[in-house]
Amino acid sequence: MTGFGGFILRRAVGALVTLFALSVIIYVVFYVTPGNVAQITCGPRCSPAQVQQVAGQLHLDDPLYARYWHFLQGLFVGQDYSTGTSVQHCSAPCLGLSYQSDQQVTELILAKLPVTASLALGAMVLWLVIGVGTGVLSVWRRGRLTERLLTTLTLAGMSTPVFVIGLVLMIVVCGQLELLPFPQYVAFTDDPEQWAWNLLLPWLSLALIESATYARLTRASMLETLAEDHVRTFRAYGVGERGIIWRHALRGAVAPLIAVNANNIGVLFGGAVLTETLFGLPGIGQEMVEAVKVVDLPVVVGMVLVTGFFVVLANAVADVLYAVADRRVVLT
Amino acid sequence: MSAPGASGARQLWRRLRTQRSALVAAVVVALLVLVALGAPLLTAIEGQDPTTYHPSLVDSARGGVPIGSFGGVSAEHWLGVEPQTGRDLFARLVHGARVSLGVALAATVVQLVLGVVIGVAAGLGNRWVDLVLTRIADIFVAMPLMVVALALLAIVPTSFPRPVLVALVVGLVSGWGTLAKMVRAQTLTLKELDYVAAARLSGWGTVRIARRELLPGLATPVITFAAILVPTNITVEAALSFLGVGVKPPTPSWGQMLTSADVWYQAAPQYLLLPAGALFVTVLALTVLGDGVRTALDPRAASRLSVGTGRKQEAKGEVS
Amino acid sequence: MRQPSVIARRVAAASVSLVVAAGAAACGPEDNDAKSAGGDSTPHKGGTLTVLNSDPQQDFDPARLYTSGGGNVPSLVFRTLTTRNRENGEAGAEVVPDLATDTGRPNKDATVWTYTLKEGLKYEDGTKITSADIKYGIERSFAPELSGGAPYLRDWLVGAADYQGPYKDKKGLSAIETPDERTIVFHLNKPEGEFPYLATQTQFTPVPKSKDTGTKYEEHPVSSGPYKVVTNESDGERLVLERNTYWSASTDAERKAYPDKVDVRSGLDSSVINQRLSSSQGADAAAVTTDTNLGPAELAKVTGDKDLASRVGTGHFGYTNYIAFNPTIKPCNNVKVRQAISYAIDRSSVVNAAGGSALAEPATTFLPDQKSFGYEPYDLFPAGKAGNAAKARELLAQAGYRDGLTVTLTHSNAKDFETSPEIATAIQDALKKAGITVKLQGLEENDYSDKIHNVKTEPGFFLAHWGADWPSGGPFLAPIFDGRQIVKDGANFNTGLLNDESVNAEIDAINKLTDLDAAAERWGALDKKIGEQALTVPLFHPVYKRLYGEDVKNVVISDWTGVLDISQVAVK
Repeated sequence: MTGFGGFILRRAVGALVTLFALSVIIYVVFYVTPGNVAQITCGPRCSPAQVQQVAGQLHLDDPLYARYWHFLQGLFVGQDYSTGTSVQHCSAPCLGLSYQSDQQVTELILAKLPVTASLALGAMVLWLVIGVGTGVLSVWRRGRLTERLLTTLTLAGMSTPVFVIGLVLMIVVCGQLELLPFPQYVAFTDDPEQWAWNLLLPWLSLALIESATYARLTRASMLETLAEDHVRTFRAYGVGERGIIWRHALRGAVAPLIAVNANNIGVLFGGAVLTETLFGLPGIGQEMVEAVKVVDLPVVVGMVLVTGFFVVLANAVADVLYAVADRRVVLT
Repeated sequence: MSAPGASGARQLWRRLRTQRSALVAAVVVALLVLVALGAPLLTAIEGQDPTTYHPSLVDSARGGVPIGSFGGVSAEHWLGVEPQTGRDLFARLVHGARVSLGVALAATVVQLVLGVVIGVAAGLGNRWVDLVLTRIADIFVAMPLMVVALALLAIVPTSFPRPVLVALVVGLVSGWGTLAKMVRAQTLTLKELDYVAAARLSGWGTVRIARRELLPGLATPVITFAAILVPTNITVEAALSFLGVGVKPPTPSWGQMLTSADVWYQAAPQYLLLPAGALFVTVLALTVLGDGVRTALDPRAASRLSVGTGRKQEAKGEVS
Repeated sequence: MRQPSVIARRVAAASVSLVVAAGAAACGPEDNDAKSAGGDSTPHKGGTLTVLNSDPQQDFDPARLYTSGGGNVPSLVFRTLTTRNRENGEAGAEVVPDLATDTGRPNKDATVWTYTLKEGLKYEDGTKITSADIKYGIERSFAPELSGGAPYLRDWLVGAADYQGPYKDKKGLSAIETPDERTIVFHLNKPEGEFPYLATQTQFTPVPKSKDTGTKYEEHPVSSGPYKVVTNESDGERLVLERNTYWSASTDAERKAYPDKVDVRSGLDSSVINQRLSSSQGADAAAVTTDTNLGPAELAKVTGDKDLASRVGTGHFGYTNYIAFNPTIKPCNNVKVRQAISYAIDRSSVVNAAGGSALAEPATTFLPDQKSFGYEPYDLFPAGKAGNAAKARELLAQAGYRDGLTVTLTHSNAKDFETSPEIATAIQDALKKAGITVKLQGLEENDYSDKIHNVKTEPGFFLAHWGADWPSGGPFLAPIFDGRQIVKDGANFNTGLLNDESVNAEIDAINKLTDLDAAAERWGALDKKIGEQALTVPLFHPVYKRLYGEDVKNVVISDWTGVLDISQVAVK
């Protein structure tokens, strides 16, 4: 099979296999994780009899394969569950109910996704601006002090953990200079302006960490183009340095930038655990780590599948965009 | 692309020598490694160790902030003491270098071995081998490091040495998937080149071809990749500490120091600045050295950072 | 204290969830700033109170909450039969009537308790609160779907041990009678003089059966208190409470309810909460926290700043951090070894590791140092400030460990400065001086909790803590030292596996007392007696210090919860 249709089909099949394997791995890993899930769910001072009841309710006593089968069933045909006073239906694709909060995992994910998406997309804009800007500037001023300074600064960002950058930024910008309010998530649909102001620091923290990559990539691709023969020819014809940099050199950097960026975004959609934790953003990453700590298997599996989905999707998109930007690449 | 021969190392050194910044970086990296290896000796010279508490050196009524200027710097405690415990910061920093660098390097070795072996095997193997190995690599690319690390670190018995475990988990779960895919692509390209095809025609076995003909050709992209894996792994170790599953106290590591120090940013700034500075210098030196080595290996590509350079940044997203 | 916003959920160890939900204690003599909340401090009605928390109110179902005295935010919505006295310090450790007209009328041997509801009590929808609703509220807390509360109701009510709640068993609990709309009678299977304390917990809040939606009830529980839930987003991450117009101050002497609105925002990092409270900008000027203490680093900053120092509330919750021994495991089976370790402990370095002398007070008694617990000071194995290594060596020699001893100390990897690695390494360092080599075994939180609370896997030497379900010796000593509370096939808290006839008999005798002051005195004496067996080494009692915003007035911190009482706070 060849052509674009074939590419999509192969990727889709591959993605399904990947996600299926991921869910199996997570089930197995968490099956052997220490921690009496029923006791955790029931409460520390529950009696053995109560713990037993809870274990029954959550199917924790079933063998691994039965629990996985139950999960698959929910995924394809949905499942019914009791609130005590009534029976509710969780329609397919149902990822089950959280052990801890009794919420449907799909609802949970849908509630968290906008937060994570806001964080990821905004941060992307910033790191592209900062990263590519720095890259261009360092080519423009190459060999001078500015270039070294910029390189060092972006590397400083890259080498500092986000929980340090974020906290220091918050203390300085919000606490001492009082330039911004302390971030707390406001939905875009509620108030776009507040949404942006509140997310500015989380975006900036992430961008400072990531922009080194983009700066280096931009700089390297541009230098390569500048060394090519046709650029020399342009120069010989008297095209200005500024024109060369913007019109020709930067163009060469677009393809690799797209590829790297799509990848980064895919991973970020799976949640920027530390950033979300520090800034108190109720996103996927924060939820996932907390679910792991209380061995809330349905939530963990659901979140991992969503994360995996975005990574796989981003990789496919990256390949397509890369092929579009660079005609020499063949999609496989 | 030429395959560097036996004289490769000498040639590499000759080219590296011409780059001043890379030389400086190499010296810094060498120093860091020396400090890490010589940590017990250095602390013995100072007359301290990283675990002894000095309650009298901290102000208990004020949350345990170090007594004295610059965080309690003195002739006995060269870089001051840790808030709350009064443990010697110099000792913790140099012993922390051991753990942080050790974990990061070990994890990188695991990632490189896995990535190259699986990548080459996929590239040289038949259709099915390729399909299965590529799929496995895909699964690991899509696996969220933090979740799996949190779970795995809880499963393994505590008697297992923690730094080794952290290095293994980071190495096995993250980073190598992308590398494997890149190596596979590179292998497919190299396979078609004349000298590899010639070797194949003359009846060489797959392993021999891989070792003699492919690996040299893979050196540049793999070293490029490694140059970013090491610093990324250092920050991953820090992130795991932040989430409470890193190396265990009282063993010091930079990540752990950063984690407990960030809240002290206002009350005892040097406590945060020391590990942060150490991390920064390490990452900077490794990156510059990595660039230098790449330039030396392939002068024509001096300015070219392959797509791989950025792609390994995926691991980076994990620590955000 | 530095914790990433780990969500406690139902998971929090019993004692820990109390801390989250409640708070209490004596204001230290050194700073009594709790009472002097900023210059002109006449509280007025109105305004919005912001609450900045790290743990979301994930459980907001009264059946599921595990609180001491009804909790802080929950107590704004849920009224209970009795409640804690909303006063500063010692007076705040008393139990007072809430929905009921008194704290309960016992029969002669304290096995039957009768309550009468006040008149004119209404829910947020204007319907009448009846005694049957309180009975139903208690019954549904037995449903496995709504597990999480304290174990006392199940242990105390006649025939309740195997009851599975009203969803499965429509007949209900015969141990609770409601002869009329305002009367409710509880039949207990043994004398319990402290029943009025239990009746402060949220399980004693009325739940109208017609409004019960099972596991979904927590999204909008029906209010009987001064505020009702108007918003409950992402499973308790954001709660907005507004006035319940059917609540009347004339029936509620305890809740002041000054603000018009309460806005609870959680999921925040603890260092961010403290930073926001200290900056006190905008809405944060009218903000408090109900779950985040000042950590050592923040304290270092606050003590140097007059303005900030004046906005710190200090309290003491009944809580003890200690070393526990399992006397069935070598070498901790040897009482001399246990005593040697007791002597060798360096409490000042432990206190420093826990945050310094302002955040932790060295403890030599198992009971918290408060009157309501019957605190009787004793120091049976005096270690002094920095440990008595000589005495420890002497005891070790007597025990046959002349050349020193190697033991494994099990602790958790939680970042709580309680059972965490910092405390463990401080102990490791101190015992070194006495020739005891300590190996550390750090377990992940779930693993740790499983292991220490299971008689089959319990380690010999480990860190533990215990908090008060209510400010009395009963819930502090009985679960840990009553031999009949040893659980062989489930979560066991009697980690010393003590089954001493005389201790058990004394516990029974004290439980018969309905004179709580007399009971307290005997709990204190019992604590000292148990202490002689050296089954634990008390380490420290925490001190809670919390910041509040500039506009916050009428800060009340009781010895019951140790933290500012949100029902008393005014922002105008």
